[in-house]
Amino acid sequence: MIGRARTRRFLTTVGAGRWRLVPLLYSAMLLLPASHVLSGGPLFAQTIPSVSRSGSKTSVQFLYPEQISVPAGKPFSTDLHFRVDPGLHINSHSPHEKSLIPTNLLVVEEPGLKVQSVDFPVGAEYSFAFSPAEKLSIYSDQFVLRAHLTAERGEHLLQGVLRYQACDSNSCYPPKTIPVAIDVIAK
Amino acid sequence: MRRNHLVILIVLAALILISWSGYHNHLRRSLESQQRAASHVVLTRDGEGGSPPAGEATGTPTDSGSDYRPGALEHKAAPAFTLVDLNGRKVSLSDYRGKAVLVNFWATWCGPCQVEIPWFIQLHNQYASQGFEILGVSNDTLDDDDQTRLEQEKQEVSTYAAKMKMNYPVLLHGDTLAAAYGNFDSLPTSFFIDRKGTVVAETNGLHPRDEVEADIKKALATGGQ
Repeated sequence: MIGRARTRRFLTTVGAGRWRLVPLLYSAMLLLPASHVLSGGPLFAQTIPSVSRSGSKTSVQFLYPEQISVPAGKPFSTDLHFRVDPGLHINSHSPHEKSLIPTNLLVVEEPGLKVQSVDFPVGAEYSFAFSPAEKLSIYSDQFVLRAHLTAERGEHLLQGVLRYQACDSNSCYPPKTIPVAIDVIAK
Repeated sequence: MRRNHLVILIVLAALILISWSGYHNHLRRSLESQQRAASHVVLTRDGEGGSPPAGEATGTPTDSGSDYRPGALEHKAAPAFTLVDLNGRKVSLSDYRGKAVLVNFWATWCGPCQVEIPWFIQLHNQYASQGFEILGVSNDTLDDDDQTRLEQEKQEVSTYAAKMKMNYPVLLHGDTLAAAYGNFDSLPTSFFIDRKGTVVAETNGLHPRDEVEADIKKALATGGQ
């Protein structure tokens, strides 16, 4: 799925320990003003929003990798694998309607580790049974994002969250985020 | 003989040392693994820093699922509430006492909601003269801490309502009612309330238009005039 048919957006440079939206281009659509994206403090003081409803079930899981080895100081790409629960789908990174919430990845940049861009796969076409004329762009089952990064020599922790909004065949669930964490060993 | 005993003792000591070392290595790795998992939790809690809209649920693999039970409110008094509409006017459920009310929870990002809203508009036109009202309660997340953002988010709901030609009150901050209304975890969710304020039917997810109309008739027919 990764390859020709995909979109690519680029990041701009910000300081260490700051939440970054990948792609930054979609910050406005995600209701993330630039001040939020670019402001912040220490790494772990910058947190994802509170849980509004305790016990809400996630529909998407980050599968792997947990750890990657990369060549120090050289551009490197790695695939991030996710799974959507059976019977559910989530909007792709580029849904056809503006009111629908796109799947996005937010990452924390830390010293020595830079995520330059993330490729999102093109969504599959889908229609609800009750609205066959309306075509949606979705991810279901498993999907893969490709992150392009560079890392200085040493061990780093790539941290981020995947934001998505899921539906089943006749109802939709509020947007959620799940954590993504990868040990990056640059040699 | 004594030399053999000495060799056996040395071998045994070496084995014990190796086992002890392996055990401690295992403990250390387990501890590191737990600490790493704990740091992920820290990352996704509390809502001070930037990013997804405030109040948005954060999922972890340990989430236990919603405790929503469809129909739990049926035959019970509808929980009272007061919310503001798109014009900033306060609207209370109690304002509609004596009428049959459909309280419909929806959101701009909810595809199935978009399908049933035109039905509601038609049914509102059809049954309003008999004392039927609809309250469209938006569950779109609003950021009260950021006035600029709040206005933008309200505008998005307002634009959507106008586009859909919603001819009934659209109320904001519906997510604050989730607990009172049974912790429903998906949209659309609707409560059909009779003239005395009792929930006579509840639906979660998109249901056929005929079923919606039957529930409206049920709400109109029960609870007296």
